[in-house]
Amino acid sequence: MDLKKQTLGSLREMLDTKQISAAELCKEYFDRIKTTDSQVLGYITVTEEEAMKNAAKAQEAIDKGEAKALTGIPLAIKDNICTDGIRTTCASNMLGNFIPPYDACVIEKLKADDYVLLGKASMDEFAMGGSTQTSAFAKTKNPFDLSRVPGGSSGGSAAVVSAAMAPAALGSDTGGSIRQPSSFCGVTGLKPTYGRVSRYGLVAFASSLDQIGPIANSAVDCGIILNTICGKDSRDATSANKPAEDFNAKVGKDIKGMKIALPKEFFAESTDDEVKTAVLAAAKKYEEMGAVLVDCSMKSLKYAVAAYYLVASAEAASNLSRFDGIKYGLRGEGRTFDEMIRDSRSRGFGDEVKRRILLGNYALSSGYYDAYYLKALALKQQIIKEYNEIFENADIILTPTAPTVAYKIGEQETDPVKMYLADICTVTVNIASLPAISVPCGYNADGMPIGMSLVGRKWDEATLIQTADAFEKSFDRRYSEV
Amino acid sequence: MDIKTIDHLCDLSKLNYTDEGKEKVMGEMSAIIELMDTVKEFDVVYDDTKDNNSISYDEVRKDDAKPSFPAEKLLSNTQPSDNCYVVPKMVD
Repeated sequence: MDLKKQTLGSLREMLDTKQISAAELCKEYFDRIKTTDSQVLGYITVTEEEAMKNAAKAQEAIDKGEAKALTGIPLAIKDNICTDGIRTTCASNMLGNFIPPYDACVIEKLKADDYVLLGKASMDEFAMGGSTQTSAFAKTKNPFDLSRVPGGSSGGSAAVVSAAMAPAALGSDTGGSIRQPSSFCGVTGLKPTYGRVSRYGLVAFASSLDQIGPIANSAVDCGIILNTICGKDSRDATSANKPAEDFNAKVGKDIKGMKIALPKEFFAESTDDEVKTAVLAAAKKYEEMGAVLVDCSMKSLKYAVAAYYLVASAEAASNLSRFDGIKYGLRGEGRTFDEMIRDSRSRGFGDEVKRRILLGNYALSSGYYDAYYLKALALKQQIIKEYNEIFENADIILTPTAPTVAYKIGEQETDPVKMYLADICTVTVNIASLPAISVPCGYNADGMPIGMSLVGRKWDEATLIQTADAFEKSFDRRYSEV
Repeated sequence: MDIKTIDHLCDLSKLNYTDEGKEKVMGEMSAIIELMDTVKEFDVVYDDTKDNNSISYDEVRKDDAKPSFPAEKLLSNTQPSDNCYVVPKMVD
């Protein structure tokens, strides 16, 4: 079977028509993992034994004609999403041996569909980074060019989908961590509206920004997964009580007359020419389909990275204070309680996580709070206002997902400021709690994928998927060669 | 950013650095703070009367008592000792 060209729809059909059993499908993916993951390093933990048991259970449902959308479908899960009894490390030495005693809400929902877990995908440590090179256990490589980064923080999730080691995966997105690696690895990634998916069981990084979402081979596949994982959860007070809907309901509908806005600041000098050309060519294609292109501006964009890092790091400093080595996690040494906690944290966290904790505490500390944290909150209000103004005259906003294609390993991960500035195209979406999807829209001269981001109104993932699907149908997508 | 500030932040953050590590992180944090300083250029004031993000905290769950996770599962991630978390003495 050519795993690279499979969609969740094609796998569903094969399973339901008994062309393949759930166990055989599972085996196909584990065979692929065995031959490929030693090059890509996409997984931290592979769960073959567990998967074969789950595949047998899924087959029973299929045989009874009771299959749901994801019954028997193998998926990879980012390693910051808790899985009962299965190691969940956040790619950190701090949680190197952590076995969660419960499932995240999204895992409960996937299990209710009888999905099959292939394994836990690598990521930047505690989801802090854009390269997956801060992972303590698997520094993932880009399947399109193994000398390049896969992006991050959900770099493992994007890479295993790109390399056909899973047909789809779950990631999490705090400032672009689903969309940017999807762009770098040439796959599709959806960051849902904040509150669409419960964060219960997602190891918290920045609670007002984090959101779980799918990475897959198409927008429709993302919609299939979102249909399953969305919904109100009483254990996450920020999850929204929205009526059930089919996020793929608008797929195939004409986009004639749809207004697509292009904020000029996203196409500035800092964005590579090849990226600009590919995204503008996609805009032109939309125009040919009958969409109306609208010029617009987001003046606050140049301050967005700083505002994002101040808010996210402040929340991270608070959230990560729970890691003291007492109830779980790496236990350090010390003669006193304080010495033990400091030793646990100093040995358990990597350099980038420590820098974010220091920055967060700096922004929140006496004398700096008004100048940094409150100012960042003011910018957050301004960014939301500017998005609202754009959406008064547009249905969708189109931007590059990242200013560059995937860069060479070692080229910029050691420069924190350079890394932070690379998030310029994605962070405002999290700040404004909006949904966005990254879709492959071209390739540069070296054959590296270029992604474009479609940003929608709050709760309007259906229009995003409709618009992304319209482009995907006319786009000649390439697959990685590993 | 100076060593005194880094020491203060390490205290707040419960982190240790060697002298050499402290010098390195001081340089990195200086560059990061320089980037963060750009927010000061934008003339906008936070308005806490219309807080922004419209995150709805609706339908907060009732404060009902529910069974806990099994103790053996919770303790499986720590140093085992008679159903307790073991920590160093806080008072000599």
